[in-house]
Amino acid sequence: MTARVPGRSNEVRDPVHTFIDFNSLEREVIDSLPFQRLRHVHQLALSGQVYPGASHKRFEHSLGVMHLAGRIFDVVTKEEKLSDEVRDLVPKRGEAEFSYWKTVLRVAALCHDIGHLPFSHAGEEDLLPEDWDHERITLELIGSGPMAEVWNSVRPSPVPDDVIKLALGPKKVASLKLDLSFDDWEGVLAEIITSDALGADRIDYLLRDSLHTGVAYGRFDHNRLIQTMRILPRSPERDSEDGGDFGEPQLGIERGGLESAEALLLARYFMFAQVYYHPTRLIYDEHLKDFLRAWLPDGRFPVEPDGHLSYTDNEVWAAITKAAEDAGADGHDSARRIAHREHFRVVDERQIAEDVGERSIAVTAVFEALRERYGAESVRFGRSPKRGEAPDFPVMQRDGKVASSVSLSEVLRQLPVARDEYVFMPADLREDAKKWLKTERDNIVTAAAERVEKESDEEKEDGES
Amino acid sequence: MNPMAQEALVARLARTLRENDSWTGETHIQKATYLLEVLADVPFDFDFILYKHGPFSFELRDELGNMQADRYLSREPQDPPYGPRFSVTESGRQLEERFAKTMARYGSKVDWIAAQLRDKGVASLERLATALWVTTHEGDGLGLEERVELLRGIKRHVSEENAAQAVREIDELLASAPS
Repeated sequence: MTARVPGRSNEVRDPVHTFIDFNSLEREVIDSLPFQRLRHVHQLALSGQVYPGASHKRFEHSLGVMHLAGRIFDVVTKEEKLSDEVRDLVPKRGEAEFSYWKTVLRVAALCHDIGHLPFSHAGEEDLLPEDWDHERITLELIGSGPMAEVWNSVRPSPVPDDVIKLALGPKKVASLKLDLSFDDWEGVLAEIITSDALGADRIDYLLRDSLHTGVAYGRFDHNRLIQTMRILPRSPERDSEDGGDFGEPQLGIERGGLESAEALLLARYFMFAQVYYHPTRLIYDEHLKDFLRAWLPDGRFPVEPDGHLSYTDNEVWAAITKAAEDAGADGHDSARRIAHREHFRVVDERQIAEDVGERSIAVTAVFEALRERYGAESVRFGRSPKRGEAPDFPVMQRDGKVASSVSLSEVLRQLPVARDEYVFMPADLREDAKKWLKTERDNIVTAAAERVEKESDEEKEDGES
Repeated sequence: MNPMAQEALVARLARTLRENDSWTGETHIQKATYLLEVLADVPFDFDFILYKHGPFSFELRDELGNMQADRYLSREPQDPPYGPRFSVTESGRQLEERFAKTMARYGSKVDWIAAQLRDKGVASLERLATALWVTTHEGDGLGLEERVELLRGIKRHVSEENAAQAVREIDELLASAPS
């Protein structure tokens, strides 16, 4: 293949960003098999069963993340945005290093999701070998045959480890125990894609998911937010002998963007509750996992690149449709529940004000009690990760001083931290189970709390003796 | 370590840091937990990596969020420009009490590290934790000057004097850490 120099010559229309343009190198990545596969992986898994419009794919999301990452890079590297404390961090505009890192950033943004399984996150925890997740597959793919051909075909050729670092970010690099380190500049670039507060991934998925689901909570003024982004020293945590030492740089905003950032974090909070961890979506995930365990060879997705690339939502949907109509097929019952919308219903859920502290195990205790009473096949459990807890990021005030976002924003201070948990059962058992729980729930939770604490404390003692 | 016992120890650490006049922001808890794990062999299930601000655990960050969701910890916003502080709720204090055996085993180590760190600020803690990282990961048998050089290679803005002080302080803590 002839080596090509990136030029900016392609564009596609996009419902969120209107136009997304890309150069010849990025086109090589887009045309690669791992990236084209994302045309067949739904962004929101089976949320389409709840929100009919949620039929969009990881393909267009990844294009959107590339687009936003490039925009953020252009904004935060403007000369007038660079304070003396961070100027030396940024390569000089016009130099090869500057364009190299912009290229790596946009390519990493494109590649950040190529390791996703069919139906995205739905089966990740249970359907991969131990210590594998979609990011580890992403890592393998970036270094694999199809992508290596891309890297070798263009100049300047991105170093795969640089792409991996920016695509996965430090949290995943750490959890995968990769021997990769981040300098300050690379840390900021990774934040442009992966930051909890201001990252391009989050901005795009909130806007895109909101648009396609019709849930308006996910909208916010991202254009204003991006225009106010800056590389800033970290906000101070205390007044001490360290006064004036604000630590290493990170992605932040100017004061004028604070309301847009508040809107983003509120959007995240609402979308988690309304869309991503909607209880019906959670139970569809459980039925899907049950089906895949029965249908997949050895109950696991393959993780080597060729095997991974051979599975998309299409193959799984076709199998679900077929198994739903064949009583002898592996996974028939789960397939029927998905295809015929005969999913389990909620019989218990976390009580926000009551199931805290020692009673935080309440829903898992109810789950165990219901399994014992009705049988394991009739009871399923689903939970969201915690949501809320606004990330703290630096904000440059109008006097030029840097402050903590949480110290400046009453909205961010009040954002509640919550976690949702549910127990599900078939519709025909639901009323009986709820009636039983009405009288027994408190006893179940109290007894379980006492038991768990006793066992936990003793286990530690025994284990260390 | 059992997750609930671990939460009880984190609650105790946050409480004793506050009692020792620590600001008790996330950085303070991160660095104190790292020092506790390495210096005093408290078997937390947190993996630390060398990140922008020295040794850091994303798992511990998630745990602090979970403990807020379960109302064991609360995050107290501060007046600008400062970041939030953590405090232990009544439920968090009760959690400590319920894990009496865990506290009997590790509680004094937690109290020791909190007393050693007292009101240190984030920059001091970052230097100290990075000095420990250098000593345990790179500095097997290395002298003070070599470790100072390694530390300054990682954190270039740290002066030679501050780096040397951090390495000396780590050597003292290693010598006095409870077994």
